[in-house]
Amino acid sequence: MEVEINTIKVTIDNITIDVAPGTTILNAARQIGGDVTPPAMCYYSKLEGSGGKCRTCLVEVAAGSTADPRPMPKLVASCRTGVMDGMVVKNITSEKVTDARNGVVEFLLLNHPLDCPICDQAGECHLQDLGYEHGKEGTRYQFARRTFKKEDIGPYIQLHMTRCILCYRCTYVADQITDKRVHGIIDRGDHAAISTYISKAIDNDFSGNMIDVCPVGALTDKTFRFKNRVWFTKPVDAHRNCTTPGCCGKATLWLRGEEVFRVTARKDEWGEVQSYDGKPGWICNTCRFETKKTESWTIEGVTKISRHSVIGLNKYQTLEMPKETVKEVMNGIEPKLLMDIHSVSGVNNPKLHLSEIEGPAKSSDFKN
Amino acid sequence: MGRKLLLEKQHVEGIRHYDVYRREGGYRSVEKALKMQPNDIVEEVKKSGLRGRGGAGFPTGMKWSFLAKPDGVPRYLVCNADESEPGTFKDRYLMEFIPHILIEGMIVASYALGSNVSYIYIRGEYDWITDILDQAIAEAKQNGWLGKNIQGSGFDCEMYVQRGAGAYICGEETALLESLEGKRGNPRIKPPFPAIKGLWGCPTVVNNVETLAAVVPIINEGAEEYAKIGVGKSTGTKLISACGNINKPGIYEIDMTISVEEFIYSDEYCGGIPNGKKLKACIPGGSSVPILPANLLLTTAKGEKRLMNYESLSDGGFASGSMMGSGGFIVLDEDQCIVRHTYTLARFYRHESCGQCSPCREGTGWMEKILLSIEKGKGKLSDIDLLWDIQRKIEGNTICPLGDAAAWPVAAAIRHFRDEFEWHVNNPEKCLTENFGLRHYADAIHVPV
Repeated sequence: MEVEINTIKVTIDNITIDVAPGTTILNAARQIGGDVTPPAMCYYSKLEGSGGKCRTCLVEVAAGSTADPRPMPKLVASCRTGVMDGMVVKNITSEKVTDARNGVVEFLLLNHPLDCPICDQAGECHLQDLGYEHGKEGTRYQFARRTFKKEDIGPYIQLHMTRCILCYRCTYVADQITDKRVHGIIDRGDHAAISTYISKAIDNDFSGNMIDVCPVGALTDKTFRFKNRVWFTKPVDAHRNCTTPGCCGKATLWLRGEEVFRVTARKDEWGEVQSYDGKPGWICNTCRFETKKTESWTIEGVTKISRHSVIGLNKYQTLEMPKETVKEVMNGIEPKLLMDIHSVSGVNNPKLHLSEIEGPAKSSDFKN
Repeated sequence: MGRKLLLEKQHVEGIRHYDVYRREGGYRSVEKALKMQPNDIVEEVKKSGLRGRGGAGFPTGMKWSFLAKPDGVPRYLVCNADESEPGTFKDRYLMEFIPHILIEGMIVASYALGSNVSYIYIRGEYDWITDILDQAIAEAKQNGWLGKNIQGSGFDCEMYVQRGAGAYICGEETALLESLEGKRGNPRIKPPFPAIKGLWGCPTVVNNVETLAAVVPIINEGAEEYAKIGVGKSTGTKLISACGNINKPGIYEIDMTISVEEFIYSDEYCGGIPNGKKLKACIPGGSSVPILPANLLLTTAKGEKRLMNYESLSDGGFASGSMMGSGGFIVLDEDQCIVRHTYTLARFYRHESCGQCSPCREGTGWMEKILLSIEKGKGKLSDIDLLWDIQRKIEGNTICPLGDAAAWPVAAAIRHFRDEFEWHVNNPEKCLTENFGLRHYADAIHVPV
């Protein structure tokens, strides 16, 4: 009798799940979902060879497998470690992991400029999320941060190396989409930098996807830079018949009013590009940078964003008013307002056109 | 006087050249090995107890037996000659003066492992040694020790020398393989280990120069004879490159039974410390192993004499011991400043970090900056605890051992010399002109006459 074993059991933070052999710990944890999933800054399931670099996904392996239940001596990168049958993994239940992860986040933020108020990535930045969860309130770093000059990679993408955390994702995109490699890392150590070969432009129809995979604001869309904050724009799913071979034509449009401010690929709950028919849904530069009219797209509906960032609140789907609590804490007494200026002043008088009044408006203007 | 196996013929004139080397009994081990079964050679090396001489001290025979042998896939032997550890220069000596012993050892190892193409990856700074090795390979090939059908045995082996571009990280075996493949020298994420997937995705063994050279006496004399030299699990002889404040810096071949005290003070080896100065500290195995203060260096925490071998040097773990490492023996006398010394090492590791994983990339730079500010008298007391915290968060959390190598010297310096760091912080002006000296020892150090 032959029984083919097609699933193996792995326990992550006391939750046991059956997964296919060859699954990594991180992907097993993603199948469970929620807080059990380690954060990942460099791993990108759609990019071959990515992962293992940022060390935010470190987990403790308390038991290697049923056959060999010894614990692993060091914390392991969950994105690059395969599960074994009977493996016991500790993520948030391990103090060692939390401690190491806090350390990694501190290291990542060490040379990061923290210029979120002027950064286009703010609101959908993975480093921001990570900083909120694991960062310290202050920095222990008392030296000058390293800085780089901004660099244009082609007409559509700007590289702001100062913000980069060297996750290598964009180099994998460039490697896997361009025929001739022009994009990579130069120098080493803390002065290592992403660069194209002597500031060459990446000449490829899919180069814009580097912006989508960048976890921070190091690679930004030049057609969107400083145009808007992401949380002011409304994401809608849309598609068009794109003629570029390899482009899935499915995108998220970021609208304000009727105006399309930005086009990105559709992302899943881990911030990665969604897959269609097993293929990552990369979009071409024509869709991303040149098709910015709603008429060119068939809009499917509001995007559901399941990531826990500021734009992930889904406030566009249902608008909930904050509950009035004054009456409650005042033992049922209605709040007594000193003056309700709206009912008194008539500022909201629809018949009145301020543009018709000469000079600044006076209270007498409203009393007519 | 200890037994010499590798450097026995070092003073024979012209030993660098094939004719003299062959006349002195060279390439005997190849003749012997080609008559043996490859697996028997692996067993022989296993029996000899030879441990990797590159730093980690992993049993070589064991490493060889892990090599995967799938059908139809080539296997490779790569010699790690990227000797970049500060304080280590033993491989340079061996390759420069007796290059044929490495080639001889590599032919035996290639035969044992079934590698038909073997590489020597040499650090870029050793450019003149590249020429010496190239010449030695040409000589060996001319005389039928390399190439097709070696000595009529039917075994083919080609050997190539590849120069690196001067990166410390390329001494890490997977970074070395990446570099050898022509890519950026970033360490790979393990597993898979090189024994399964190494050079160009094929099973590969990476060994240090001295390890491969040691195969020659093992085959010549037999594993039992070799294992008799030394003590416990430290068999055979070890090359030590001694430097720093000693009278006779240089390369010494020791048989791992002598004590550290004898090694530093006897005239046969380092010949004591110059100008009648006292011993302050020592790094016994190359810059990345923990530094030890004189009292812990000469005797273990249990009060036993510390010997120059793998077990004794690591006795007491990192709390009171160190490591044999690659044998880069750096001696510091009483005039040396531990803070400055630690800063120098931190600067090295910051410069050599590949920048791939965040703890090492950011942490090494941070440690260097803090150490510089303490060294310049601008540090705070809290900086010492901060340094400890940073090294703790680097160690064990990185892709390759460079993170550990950067963390250990800082940790050991704080562990054993914390008062010197505090003195630097508390005396910001004095520390620029004066030296802390030996004051931090509660007990007077026993200094041999």
